[in-house]
Amino acid sequence: METSKALPPMTRIAKYTLIDEVQQRSFVVMFVICAICVFLVRGCYHGNYMVNGQALDTGTIVRTLSKAIFHVISSGVMVIAALLSMRIFRRDRDEGTQSCVLSKPIERWQYVMGKLLGLWVLSALFMFILHSIVFLITSINLKVFIPGYLAASLLCTINLLFVVIAVLLLSLLMPDIVAFLCVLGIGIVGFVADGIAAASHSQIVQAIVQQPAGQPQSDLTWWKVVYVLWPKLLGVQQLAASLIESDASHGFGPIYPLINILAYCLILGLLLFKRFRAEDIV
Amino acid sequence: MIELKNVTKRYDSLTVVDDVSFTVKAGECFALLGPNGAGKTTIVKMLLNFTRPTSGSLSINGISSSQAECRQAVGYLAENHHIPPSLSGWHYLLRCAELLDMNQSEAIDHCRHIVELIGMQGREHTKAGTYSKGMVQRFGLGAALMGEPKLLILDEPTSGLDPIGIREIRQLLESLKDQGMTIFLNSHLLSEVEKICDTAAIINRGKLLVKENISAIVRDGETLEDLFVRLVRG
Repeated sequence: METSKALPPMTRIAKYTLIDEVQQRSFVVMFVICAICVFLVRGCYHGNYMVNGQALDTGTIVRTLSKAIFHVISSGVMVIAALLSMRIFRRDRDEGTQSCVLSKPIERWQYVMGKLLGLWVLSALFMFILHSIVFLITSINLKVFIPGYLAASLLCTINLLFVVIAVLLLSLLMPDIVAFLCVLGIGIVGFVADGIAAASHSQIVQAIVQQPAGQPQSDLTWWKVVYVLWPKLLGVQQLAASLIESDASHGFGPIYPLINILAYCLILGLLLFKRFRAEDIV
Repeated sequence: MIELKNVTKRYDSLTVVDDVSFTVKAGECFALLGPNGAGKTTIVKMLLNFTRPTSGSLSINGISSSQAECRQAVGYLAENHHIPPSLSGWHYLLRCAELLDMNQSEAIDHCRHIVELIGMQGREHTKAGTYSKGMVQRFGLGAALMGEPKLLILDEPTSGLDPIGIREIRQLLESLKDQGMTIFLNSHLLSEVEKICDTAAIINRGKLLVKENISAIVRDGETLEDLFVRLVRG
């Protein structure tokens, strides 16, 4: 046997995971609906938008709308990635795939890594295709070329990796649907917290919540620590979206959210491998 | 080939396998017998590292069962084998071959040979969702034979098969035995075990009652079934 020519088992497991998911009818339906929705969004680009009585130029409209659509797609695909990941281990158990694979000279980490890789690549492709539709609409139809759009999409795949790892880990510890809801909850809380934090920096809000002199300020240190350590999914999205801006002065923005999510991926990934090692194969 | 040393498996306070030790030599056709819940499948699962022993050790070819490399030349057929319903038997076998690092052309050649061996020509390209239990079992056996293993671990291989299917599987196992393959059989069909196997171990409530040559433990005028009932009922 020409082992050197053959792909390692991990890559094969990833390939089978990807193929099996794509062959699911629910996946195809989900993808077609998402693609149609993104395609229909092109109508929004042709509206007249006014700010302070002045009409906005096409470039500004396209960039602003594309950025908003970028966030919607990125967030939506995170939910889809969680949906795809939540039943993967259970389905493999029920269909006998797990015992078939692990009865071969394949390590458990290779199996988990293959599953993880397959799901990550699939959800990343899903998101990249949807973002590419937006990119093509703006480039071909509207003649506004946004070079950073696809790079931003690729950067956002880090969030998908976090979602896939978190759901896979939690699905080993609790029912699938609860695992999905937990990760969804983490995402929603993070988005809301980031929204509140962003709003609290505005001058209007600061003026409203300013406390009269003499009153002691409430101790929010504990909450601040939780907020800083909470998975920064929106932060990564905003960091990626900063690549969409044509103005170079915006820069790449702070990279803390990226480090935060990568650290979570590493920690949760290690926990996932450790937990699966102890798992009884049925 | 296979060695179990003082293997115990406990789930909380329930002892499923209790201090079991035995060896299976290379080329031996061995049957692990016992009533339902005796701990047979747990022993098989520990051999394949699907579950870990609470104490003791298991090895295949001198390599601890916790190492993936010990399964290098092992074929396994699970009790109540399943094939993903979206796959055809052919694609299922092809995947199994690819997981053993075969390249595409090798895998195709090997799968053709396996399909012939399990007698499923003409049905290999239909989806597994349409297969009967016996057909799934045959493809499962085919997957176990993939890569020409030296050790075959079969957990109820004739489950769901009709008498003709049982006979065909028996004939196949006999030919594999003649080729020098080590067979570890977990079965309830004592008449079939008696025809195929050289040695048998009987366990009850996790304890090993006997492990001997079948011809040495079955008395004159007695069948393996009689011996089984006698030992299990105490």
